[in-house]
Amino acid sequence: MLAELRELYRYRELLLNLVIRDLKVRYKNSALGFFWSLLNPLLQVLVITVVFHYVLRPRASVANYPAYRVRDFSASVITGLIPWTFFQMSLLDASQSVLLHFAILKKVYFPREVLPMATVLANFVHFLLSIGLLFAYALVRGIHLKAMILLLPVVMLLHLSLSMGLAFFISALNVYYEDVKYVVSVLTNVLFYTTPVLYPSTFIGDPSVSHGDLLYNLYRLNPIAHLIIAYQKCFLAAAQPHDPRPLDPLFMLVTAAICLLMLVAGYAFYNSRKWEFAERL
Amino acid sequence: MSVAIEVVGLWKAFNVYHQGIGSLKGALVGLLMRGRRTQERVWGLQDINLSVNSGESVAIIGRNGSGKSTLLGILSRVYRPTLGQVRVCGRVSSLLELGAGFHPDLTGLENIYLNGSILGLSRKEITARLGEIIEFSELGTYIDAPLKTYSSGMQMRLGFSVAVQTNPDVLLVDEVLAVGDEAFQHKCYRTIERFQRDGKTILFVSHDLESVRRVANRTVWLDAGRLVMDGYTPEVVAAYLERMRAVEGEGPCGSPS
Repeated sequence: MLAELRELYRYRELLLNLVIRDLKVRYKNSALGFFWSLLNPLLQVLVITVVFHYVLRPRASVANYPAYRVRDFSASVITGLIPWTFFQMSLLDASQSVLLHFAILKKVYFPREVLPMATVLANFVHFLLSIGLLFAYALVRGIHLKAMILLLPVVMLLHLSLSMGLAFFISALNVYYEDVKYVVSVLTNVLFYTTPVLYPSTFIGDPSVSHGDLLYNLYRLNPIAHLIIAYQKCFLAAAQPHDPRPLDPLFMLVTAAICLLMLVAGYAFYNSRKWEFAERL
Repeated sequence: MSVAIEVVGLWKAFNVYHQGIGSLKGALVGLLMRGRRTQERVWGLQDINLSVNSGESVAIIGRNGSGKSTLLGILSRVYRPTLGQVRVCGRVSSLLELGAGFHPDLTGLENIYLNGSILGLSRKEITARLGEIIEFSELGTYIDAPLKTYSSGMQMRLGFSVAVQTNPDVLLVDEVLAVGDEAFQHKCYRTIERFQRDGKTILFVSHDLESVRRVANRTVWLDAGRLVMDGYTPEVVAAYLERMRAVEGEGPCGSPS
């Protein structure tokens, strides 16, 4: 694996150029470019807030937490939706990343892992820009950021590891079975509902148990759900009076372990297959 | 004289999937019938031994499916050998695919950097040779226009310009020269001759026996994945032509021994 990493490092400029290409191509043909990709989550948050807060109405249990207001709901939606979008887009794009390059895979040598990596990293750069949107949102809403925000880079790196690890698995498997991309699309849609984006994490378990009851603990064993909880705690520590449960260091460690393990396992799996791709395509 | 390419006892097997992969149906069938998927092992290359000195130009000839491209693929590290050893000394560049990774929405200049880094050039190296690349491509001010506005000839010239700037010790050439117009082919031959004068090693695959005679002193003849003959170009080409005539006489089923 060390030799593979060294070779990857030698081709770091290729990786960079592929990331730049993805971003340039994404924004090149539209007048407003990046603006569109900011408008999209804002619009979604607006729709979700209207539908879930006014049309469907929150469950009665929320009434027990009078502090829970519509502004808190939309805040937790936007801080959850932006990281979620990065996760989902990375995996969907990754599923096609090897197949789309089959012509050069068959003709040119380069470390094959740059393909899914470039896709995920391009999405990550995009995500970094959208994180700016979250800061702007906090500023406009007058949410005071607390010390928790210092944890944000760590959460983002773990999130990147998890996405990258899964992208390695998905992009490699999609070479063998093109069903994988449909499976990914269905599974991410299902997984979306296991994360606290459309509903506050308050709805899971009993928020008054500060160390979390069984249900909440099971819920946050899911790394992507816990990462989104972490994003919400980072940005909204001061604005989530309805959920007093702190970010549990033990669960953060478990999440970190799963994310890093996924990255290593995904990389190892991808490398074990990557020289077969040219023969299979 | 030092050896540039050393191939010892090389075998290459491919798995052929009769169900066909890449389709949803094929994949589903594959999933359902995992246990009895029809899969066949085909030998693309069998027991190839080849040694090329540095500075030598060697042509590879043979019918379609004889393993020429597979051999170049293994030398350029796109395929891994199933058995045997392959050693290539120095920087290898392959003119197997011109304009690898070109994107239609990016400008010629942006594509130079992208394509160059796929071929293993660093940003610094590309910048240093940028003037030469643009001049060689004859694109002039078009270099700042998106690639999709280029004619196919312009795209080819651009790809070729980047590829020859990789300054390889060993150059692998596969048929690409056959696709361009007269002027482009002329340019390619001049470049190959320049490489030859500079003492580069060239491995050249072609169906065009005329260009084989022109480029290489030595020719390797492959058939059905085996090395049939390796020697002085006129002799190998003559033997090859004779066999082809004989095969034509026998009809399409005539199999080589």
